[in-house]
Amino acid sequence: MSVQLTEEQIALLNDRDSHKVLATVDESGNPHVVFKQSIHVAEDGNIHYLELLESSRTNHNLVRAIWFDRKVSIVVKGGDKQSFQIKGEPLEVHVTGPLFEKHYVEIQERLGDVDLAGVWVIEPQEVINENFWLRKVDEEAKHPLFLHLDRIAKTKVQH
Amino acid sequence: MSVALKRTFQHELSLNDVVAKYPDLPRLVIIKTDVQRRGIHYTERALSIVNPDIHQMRSPYLFGSRDGEIKDLPESLLLRDGTTILVDPTPLEQNPYLVDLVDGRLALVDNDEVVEFVKLWPKPKYYDVKTSSGIPMSHIASARPQRLNIFQSSYCHFWAEHKECRFCDIVNHTKQQKNELGVPVRLKPYDVSETIREALKEKGRFTSICLTAGSVLKGNELFDNEVDFYIETLQAIGENFATKKFPSELISSAFNEKQLARLYAETGITSYTSDLEVLGEEKFNWICPGKAESVGYQEWKQRLVRAVDIFGRGNVGTGLVGGVELAKPYGFLSENDALNSTLDEAESLAEQGVTTFFIVWVPRPGSDFHDQQNPSLDYFIRLASGLHQLRVKYGLSIDYNDYRRCGNHPDTDLSRLL
Repeated sequence: MSVQLTEEQIALLNDRDSHKVLATVDESGNPHVVFKQSIHVAEDGNIHYLELLESSRTNHNLVRAIWFDRKVSIVVKGGDKQSFQIKGEPLEVHVTGPLFEKHYVEIQERLGDVDLAGVWVIEPQEVINENFWLRKVDEEAKHPLFLHLDRIAKTKVQH
Repeated sequence: MSVALKRTFQHELSLNDVVAKYPDLPRLVIIKTDVQRRGIHYTERALSIVNPDIHQMRSPYLFGSRDGEIKDLPESLLLRDGTTILVDPTPLEQNPYLVDLVDGRLALVDNDEVVEFVKLWPKPKYYDVKTSSGIPMSHIASARPQRLNIFQSSYCHFWAEHKECRFCDIVNHTKQQKNELGVPVRLKPYDVSETIREALKEKGRFTSICLTAGSVLKGNELFDNEVDFYIETLQAIGENFATKKFPSELISSAFNEKQLARLYAETGITSYTSDLEVLGEEKFNWICPGKAESVGYQEWKQRLVRAVDIFGRGNVGTGLVGGVELAKPYGFLSENDALNSTLDEAESLAEQGVTTFFIVWVPRPGSDFHDQQNPSLDYFIRLASGLHQLRVKYGLSIDYNDYRRCGNHPDTDLSRLL
C-alpha cells in the first residue's frame, strides 16, 4: 500500500546536500547498501532513482525486486540530523521515452560523459522517522521496561 | 466474432499455471513470452489514445505480421521492467491477448482480467524526417525502444530456388511492403548513413545497431556479394562514429573465415549472428532446405565456432525460431523430446563459445508453415530457461543481444542479470 510522503520528507529527499542510501538484496538475500545521490521525489509522488550502470549490483537487485515483488529501503539524512527510512517497491523502470531521455541529458550536463541505464520508480510504502531522540521517546512510551536499572538508580555509578 | 471459432488452449497450462510452476522465473518474462506466442488485438478503446505524434506506429519490417496485413497500428509494447514485447496484430479467432484501455491506461487483458499494464513504444524523432533522396527515414531504419534495425536487403535468394525456410515469409512480405508502402527492397549506403546521423541526434535513444537481410548466394565464393553489401553499408554507418567499433550486431548467412575476417577488419561491427533456425541436422534439412544445400548443418555450426576466434566469446550467436522443431509432419512429436534435443545441440555450441537464443515461432500467413500452431507456453518457458542456464554454465555473456539491445528473445531477457 503506498503512502504519501510529507512536504518535509520530500524536501529532504530533493535536497542535494542530504545523504541518501539505497538498500537492496541479492538473490541469496544478502544486503547491498550504497549512497545514491540521484534519489529524488518526482511529480508523481514516487521516488525516482537514476541508475547509471546497467551491470551494477544495485541495478541487478532492483530487477530482481521488480521481477519477484521484493522491497527496497531508502534512508535519507539531512544536515540537521533529520532522518527517515522509506521502504518501498520498484514499480517500473524507464529505459526509453521522454523521462529517460530528459534524465539522460541532465545527468550528462552534471557529470560529463556518463551513461544512463534506467530511471527506477519506487513507490513509498512505509516511512519511519529515524531521528534517534524521537525514536527514544517513542520506545520509552511503548516499552517502559526496556532500560538498564542503573539508569534509574538513586545513586549514579561514577565512571 | 464467435467464441466457438477461437483457438483454445484448454489442454495446455495457462499463464497463471506456468507462473506458479516456475517461481524462480519472472512473471513479466513469462507474460511477454505468452503474448508473443498468442499475439495481440487492440480494442477500439485502446486505439483511441494512440497518438502517432508520440507513439511509434508500425514501420517496415523484414517479416510480416500474423494477420498478413499492413495496418496503421502501434508498433509494439513495453512492460514495466523495461522488457520489450515484439508482437503482431493477430486475428481474434486465434484468441490473442487484448490490448485494452483500463482506468485510462493500456493493459493486456485476457478473459476479462487485467494481466499487466503496458506502454507503447515512443516514436523516434527521425521518423518524421526524409533522406535527401526523398525516402522516409523510417523506411531506412526501423526503431526499437533502444535499437536501430537496418534491413539492408529484404530479398532472400533461397526463395528464388524455392528453398526458403519453411517458417519464413520474407519475400512475400517484401513484395507487400513494396507495393503498399513503397519501401525500397535494397538500401543505398548513403541513405543509411544519413538516417543513422539523424537518429544519433536524439540523445539517449539508441544503444545498438543491427543489420540483417536475406541471404545472397552470388559472388566468387558463396555469399561474397552479401559480404560486400554488408561491408559497404557498415562502412557508411561507421562514418557517423568517432570510434572504429560501435555496438552492433550482424545477422547474416554463415560466412567463411576469410569473409568474417574481412567484415571484422574493415567495419565497426562488434558481434556476429548466423541463424541455424532449428537445431538438429534432420530438422534443419527439412525446415531450411536452402541453408542445408548451400552450406549444410555441420559446416554452418563450424563456421559459427570459427567466428568466435574472430569476434570473441560472447559475441557470436545463433538464433532459433523456437517451436518449429515441433512443426508437422516431420517435427518432434513430444515437447520433451524437442527440448532435450535442442538443448543438447545448444550445449555443444556453448561449449565452443557460441551462444544460442530464440524467437517465439509465429506461423505467418506468407510462410509454408502458415496453417500450423506454435507449442505451449510451458515449452517456450522451459526453452528460455534452458538456453539461459547454458549461458550461466559456460560463462557466455549476451550483452549484444539482451533485453535492451534486442528485446526479441525471452531467454536473453532472463540473461539480463548475467
